[in-house]
Amino acid sequence: MTKKLSLTPYFFLIPALLVIAVFVLYPIVAVVYYSFTDYNISTPPEWVGLKNYQQLMKDPIFWQALSHSLIYLIVTPTLIFLSILLAIVVNRKLPGIHAFRALFFIPAISGSIAVGIAWRLMLDTNGIINGTLLSLGILKEPIQWLAEPAYTLPIAMMLTTWLGVGYYMMVFLAGLQNIPEELYDAALIDGCNVWQKHRHVSIPGLRPQITFVAVISSLAALQVFNEIFTLTGGLGGILNSGVTIVFYLWRQAFRLNHAGFASAIAMVLLVITLAFSIMNIRILERGTEAD
Amino acid sequence: MRTRLFALLIMVSILLSGCAQPTTQVPAEPVKETVVVTVEVPGEVQVTTVVEEVLVTPTPGPNPEAVIEGVEQNAEITFWTFWLSPTFDDYIKSTIARFQEAYPGVTVNWEDHQATFQDDLRNAFAAGNAPDVINLSISEGWVSDYATQGLLLPLDDVVPQSAIDMYFPNLWDQQLVDGTHYQFPWYQGIQVNLVNRQIYDQTGLTIEDFPKTVDGLPALCKTIKEVTGTLCDIRLTVNDLLAQMTYEGGVQVINADGTAFTFDSPEAVAWLQLYVNMVKDGTVDKTVLVTDQDRVGLDLFTTGQAAFYNTGPNLIREVRANNPGLYGYLAVVPAPVGKSGVVGKGLMAISVKADTAFPNASIALSQFFTNPRSMLEFSKIVAIYPSTPASYDDPFFSAAPVAIEDSAKPYAKDAVSKLADIVPTVPHKADVNEIVLQAIQQALFNNVDPQQALSDAVASANALLP
Repeated sequence: MTKKLSLTPYFFLIPALLVIAVFVLYPIVAVVYYSFTDYNISTPPEWVGLKNYQQLMKDPIFWQALSHSLIYLIVTPTLIFLSILLAIVVNRKLPGIHAFRALFFIPAISGSIAVGIAWRLMLDTNGIINGTLLSLGILKEPIQWLAEPAYTLPIAMMLTTWLGVGYYMMVFLAGLQNIPEELYDAALIDGCNVWQKHRHVSIPGLRPQITFVAVISSLAALQVFNEIFTLTGGLGGILNSGVTIVFYLWRQAFRLNHAGFASAIAMVLLVITLAFSIMNIRILERGTEAD
Repeated sequence: MRTRLFALLIMVSILLSGCAQPTTQVPAEPVKETVVVTVEVPGEVQVTTVVEEVLVTPTPGPNPEAVIEGVEQNAEITFWTFWLSPTFDDYIKSTIARFQEAYPGVTVNWEDHQATFQDDLRNAFAAGNAPDVINLSISEGWVSDYATQGLLLPLDDVVPQSAIDMYFPNLWDQQLVDGTHYQFPWYQGIQVNLVNRQIYDQTGLTIEDFPKTVDGLPALCKTIKEVTGTLCDIRLTVNDLLAQMTYEGGVQVINADGTAFTFDSPEAVAWLQLYVNMVKDGTVDKTVLVTDQDRVGLDLFTTGQAAFYNTGPNLIREVRANNPGLYGYLAVVPAPVGKSGVVGKGLMAISVKADTAFPNASIALSQFFTNPRSMLEFSKIVAIYPSTPASYDDPFFSAAPVAIEDSAKPYAKDAVSKLADIVPTVPHKADVNEIVLQAIQQALFNNVDPQQALSDAVASANALLP
């Protein structure tokens, strides 16, 4: 009787465990296996041992892609800074403030592909950005923004920031509204100015949200794909200037049919993101403890 | 005498009914017919002719569109098309309905796949549930890609000669793998240049002045840039650069026995130099030049920002739908020809998967969709061109063009009959193409000498060969 009762909770867990096993565990195990094979998706994989990993280490485009992905992490502090700033700005009782909040949130609910295409058209040689800069006399000749290798990554990063800032603003806004008003009153009595008030009350109060946004946005930055794909028309930028690790994975898996090699890239990405997340959480938790 | 006559009539009826194919019957109503029978009675000199009116049920004749025999009873097959829904839903559904009249008992499950077609298909093959009948692109080289992996059904021993003879021989013979056929040629496109006369006419050139050869494009782009300030909307076929080299530059990309790549020849260097010069002159849109998506170039043209764009007349509908204001200023000219003298290869094909459970039904559907009648009906709703010469006998093709989409109709039969796949089978094609793409970018955008870039690429590509 006792034994039967102790098993009951596990029966309740079975449906969830099955879903996790099929949709999480099996794909991970499969990718680990494929990374040791020569696999083109259409025909059965062939075991090649460590060949994919050896090839990866010698592949200059992989290292270029990895460096681009690491550079892309700049969007994380940018997003945190801009989102907190915006959250502070909209965290006040003004007429029409809800409209402003909604306006800032619109990019977050827009499809990144549609936004990417729209930005591509704006950045086109005859697009609105060149048109504006030419009419203001800032440019003498239109610039092919997306055809200049030096601009590809910064433009994609700008787009990611633009897409994410509204969403993270809402996260910080919720955090700000949870900070007790008494703390601000106390800060005012202590003689804090506006900057000091936020420096000593808002920022420490937002630390859980900052941890969350730092982890989530840096993972998203490491896995960026849509922005690169749409802005570069599927090429990854001239001279691979916009190729990130996930874009390179996609190119190997779905354009060149090297699913085995792409799985090896996925494994490397998994290790990096895992390490990065642990490091991120540890650093921010240490900061919380210090406070 | 009457008994003999009655027996003879019954025999004739049985014989006639025996000739009919059970799968191809059409509904029949009893009609009154005059039957004339000549009876020779052995042993008698006299010949008797009897004329009598009787009520008979005519024996159903064979459906002329049912040309494949041995179609499996109660077959259920899946058919995947590439980017045809929802625009052509009515056409596809009505053709399937006609197919099911010709081959009763066959069930066809149709699915249309679009941007993810290739991914979906590869995944379906991996999962063992690939469609029986597949719409594959000839121009992208999909037929040879899948055929070399052993995933498509060889057609040589299973398609009757009468069915093969329906197609232009040049189209039937495309993308052979080791001399074996794997595709039914479907709808074809004729490469044309859509010209935006709002921009083009500012140059003072006439439509007749548009270059007839690829060599003429740099000068035209220079003029357009100088006069109008706009850049040329020219796209390299980055998914198959070896093919573009072959057609435009007359380049032999691999030696005759397939043991070494040769795309660093003087012809190849000259071909690449042409594009390098245009980039250096700043006369082409660099983003479009190396995009792998035709839509990027088409979008630029459709928004009215380019003087011309190389595409098929079937995509004029995109311009009309998205920018009706530009539609009125469109002109169509034949696409410039390269040094090979061949305009290009075919567009779309239908293939059957190798391990289908219903090979005959699948072949029948493939053949049915590509037969002269189906092709003609498709041509009437969109500017595509049949792979079957008989379709062009219809007055639709001899009528004078009215809409701009129809501009290529008068010379379509001739143009389609000259399409040819002249690119040899290339081992590790996708990898070699990627190597070439990287090399070409180095030459176009990184000041690497074209000869050096191509020689390095050849060395890398040769390393892939056994």
